[in-house]
Amino acid sequence: MELIQQAYNVLMTAAVLILALLVILSLIRSVLGPGISDRIIAVNMIGTMIIMVTAIFSVWLNENYLADVCLIYAMISFLGVVVLCKVYTGVYLQRKHMKADLGAIEDNLVKQGVEVHEEKEEQG
Amino acid sequence: MIGAWVRFAAAVVCMALGLVFMVSAVIGVNRFHHALKRMHAAALGDTMGILFVILSLMIMKGPSMDSLKLFMVIVFFWIASPVSGHMISRLEAMTDESLGELSVMEKSSGVHVKVHEVTRPEKKGSDKKKKQKKGGESR
Repeated sequence: MELIQQAYNVLMTAAVLILALLVILSLIRSVLGPGISDRIIAVNMIGTMIIMVTAIFSVWLNENYLADVCLIYAMISFLGVVVLCKVYTGVYLQRKHMKADLGAIEDNLVKQGVEVHEEKEEQG
Repeated sequence: MIGAWVRFAAAVVCMALGLVFMVSAVIGVNRFHHALKRMHAAALGDTMGILFVILSLMIMKGPSMDSLKLFMVIVFFWIASPVSGHMISRLEAMTDESLGELSVMEKSSGVHVKVHEVTRPEKKGSDKKKKQKKGGESR
């Protein structure tokens, strides 16, 4: 019985270490990722792996409440992804409209022969 | 005693499968070049990876209330992961302005095949590149 307990310990340790390494790699991608959606994907994957680690700890330490923590973490992670997507969609659309308006103003000013540089500061 | 070892072996197999899925998902997320392809890799870890890891934990724990809670984690993930994937892909499809353009693959053999090349006026291309760069900075 002692031996099988040690075997379980080795298995859990190896799994947690590998998952920690993967979390670090995924964190690197979330820093490097060129667009916002790459970052959201990487953060979502980090959340998945954290849930796995928490579930492994709940069995390893024999603490029952960590399974509840897993469930709540999954829900909050899902909520975070949905809210981030909504927010960034809104930010993108707003910026796009604003940029188009600014471009139209600039074009008109150039056509009229006014220097754009001063007017831009007024706009800002 | 033998039953315990059989259970341990099953747990090891499931855990190893789940970790292999997670490793391939992370490699895919790090090495693919486009956000939609990255999503394809990340969905693998979100479904099969968490399924096998938590299945292994359920095998260790045996039939009990905690196993049911862990199973609920899988069920919730399998419902929530496609939804969040849909949201991310919608965000990507909305914000990526060069999404509809085809990427041209060049044939390495001697036969020269023209595959629907993307023809872009020079000025427009540079303008779009500038705009994309600007968008990336401001984002």
